[in-house]
Amino acid sequence: MNGSHRARPDRATAAATAAALLMALALAMIFFYVPTDVSEGYSQRIFYFHVPIALTTYFLFTWGAVNGARFLLKRDMSLDLKSYVPMHLGVIFGSLTLVTGSIWANIAWGTWWFWGDTQLTTFLIIFLFNCAYFMLRFSIEPGERRATFSAVYAVLGVGLIPLSVIGVHVAQTNDLIHPITFNENGANMDGSMFLTFLVALAAMITLSVTMYLIELRGKRIDDRLRAIRRLAGGEA
Amino acid sequence: MRAYRALLRKDLLLELRGRELVPAMVVFVVGALVLVRLGLGGERLAGGTRAATGLLWVVVVFTSMLALVRSFAQEREHGIWDGLLSAPADRSAIWAARASATFLFLGVTQAVALPLFWLFFLQDGRSPSLAVLAAALALADLGVAMLGALLAGLVSNVRAREVLLPVLFLPFALPLVSVAVRMTVDSIPPQNGGLGALHGLGFLALYDTIFALLGWALFEYVVED
Repeated sequence: MNGSHRARPDRATAAATAAALLMALALAMIFFYVPTDVSEGYSQRIFYFHVPIALTTYFLFTWGAVNGARFLLKRDMSLDLKSYVPMHLGVIFGSLTLVTGSIWANIAWGTWWFWGDTQLTTFLIIFLFNCAYFMLRFSIEPGERRATFSAVYAVLGVGLIPLSVIGVHVAQTNDLIHPITFNENGANMDGSMFLTFLVALAAMITLSVTMYLIELRGKRIDDRLRAIRRLAGGEA
Repeated sequence: MRAYRALLRKDLLLELRGRELVPAMVVFVVGALVLVRLGLGGERLAGGTRAATGLLWVVVVFTSMLALVRSFAQEREHGIWDGLLSAPADRSAIWAARASATFLFLGVTQAVALPLFWLFFLQDGRSPSLAVLAAALALADLGVAMLGALLAGLVSNVRAREVLLPVLFLPFALPLVSVAVRMTVDSIPPQNGGLGALHGLGFLALYDTIFALLGWALFEYVVED
């Protein structure tokens, strides 16, 4: 364990540098390179923030659930943190998705929230699930039991995500409004737009990985500090 | 299988002798239906039978929470856990028995709720297909019971469990309710398209299958200590 300590700061720094560069590139492309959308105008540019943030949120939830399942199998407490941190970041990115989506909805459809839209509704269900995860986690004393219960609930989310997607689609047959970014023929936009989208997505995912590495490090230092305090006989 | 039968028998006997849960659920569901009727305008039904059918599902979800919150209460209060866990039986049997008992309790409650629903809301309006409604209720109850038994096990040793359980359960009820409402409301004549009953029931069956597998696989982690 001691050997890997030195490598960790480097990884976080590298990720942070990559995130900063990609983010700068993405912003430059969004505001100066990509052409303005014909039907929605300048404000359509929020798409390059909203969709990458939403996809990053799904990525983080999946990551958290996968590490939760790995914890249940291996019983390694470091996997608990690796499951918790993505879930925590998922709440931040999830809130941003709801806010940017709401802004876009108001621009494109003239309403802040539209229940007929399947993607908004699905996302809201998954976001509520994630909030519930935190309620559960913080009702249990730290330790193996908390790790186990959190992991079980995170794994249940893996069942909930496809069910919400299917369920909301089945229930709402009038989903014609949400801009369809991808269909079976591939990306539904022109080359420069797709390139900008990809760069923005890469920037957002790199940013989330950076935040993950930094938060994970903070949490580990926290844990170690608490252990030292316990050893020293002070308050935990 | 023997363990499952014994556990289910224990759950049913406890309810039969103690009458703790089902009478409370029945009274609750009656009160909730009256509340819905008054909420929809009392004498004149606002939104018609469509709104009422949707709200019936909300009532169903809240009633089932009542059952789930009391799930494993006996085990906790009378120290039955230790006995159950030291028994040489598969722990999934505890989950399966609890889910089956909850399913039966929900069924009994709805056997009271459905005639009342008809009496309060459907006498002078177009009603949804009762076959569709009953099939949807049965499949939804099964899903709720299986997922609920797992979640109830999860919170049974956590503080503030009565508050926590509904919070944990609600996100999972949302896709269920959205499909169930759509399919039962769409079975109200005149039917012009909408969600076919088979599609809706297919989704509910998928929901049940997923949470049967997850509940069966995850329950042993929930009760390990």
